[in-house]
Amino acid sequence: MAEVSGALIVQAYEGVVLVQVTRERLLDAALISAIGAELMALLERYPKPNLVLDFAPVAYLSSAMLGKLIALHKAVQAAKGRLAIAGLRPALRPVFTVSQLDRVFALYPDAQQAILAFRRHK
Amino acid sequence: MNEEPPETTRRWRPIIHRRPWQAPGAVVLQRRWPTSGAAKQEAIAVLAECLLAPGWVSGDERSWLELCLDEALTNAMLHGNEGDPELAVEATVAIDERCWHVGISDQGRGFRARALPPEDDPASLLLEHGRGIRLMRSWLSALSYWRDGATVVLSRWRADRSRDG
Repeated sequence: MAEVSGALIVQAYEGVVLVQVTRERLLDAALISAIGAELMALLERYPKPNLVLDFAPVAYLSSAMLGKLIALHKAVQAAKGRLAIAGLRPALRPVFTVSQLDRVFALYPDAQQAILAFRRHK
Repeated sequence: MNEEPPETTRRWRPIIHRRPWQAPGAVVLQRRWPTSGAAKQEAIAVLAECLLAPGWVSGDERSWLELCLDEALTNAMLHGNEGDPELAVEATVAIDERCWHVGISDQGRGFRARALPPEDDPASLLLEHGRGIRLMRSWLSALSYWRDGATVVLSRWRADRSRDG
């Protein structure tokens, strides 16, 4: 199944939900709020998701977006699902390191490796 | 620079001066924007271009620059001005021999250092807010507060100057 909605493209296949972020800039408060709501709504559709967020196109990110990712992380954990973040550009990696979120999120070089990791550890 | 860079310890707390900020060196831009999401995006674009075009910030640092500007402007508009579209933020870009400085002032009352979540508290790790200052501090050479916190000043070594020179 594939769907396009705002800044996210969602595909679910064989137990993995792949969410591709399509925007380069995640700085606008209204956009971040919309993305946050859309991500949380995924948990209603996929109650125990293996969720991969593909950040490959993202070049600019604010701490508000990090807050949405943490909220999603907590919700996925509560639902006994799994969350991985894939495709972070080298320039964005320090944002996660500095805020120590590399200790919270499973980070993968690309979406394919994240999906393979989920399938390896079912 | 008129302010020593802050220590990068995990117990860092901002020093908040009561007096107004005096821009060091030459002021190259001074401009006001209303409090709104669109104005914030425009301010980021204008301020980033002001620093990137002369080479004071290198192109490969653009994402960090925009992140810091976004965090500072968001704090000024959302917390300082409490989102009131009638209130404005004023940005001043100044340059001296070694550093560039961006001062961002809001029309709020400032804040107290103890209102910030402590960085060394493990419980802060999963908070959904409160990371902006840490992120800014990690890239900037100095982050200082003036007018009881209603002005924040972002400072960093110029990319077109040697730090030793």
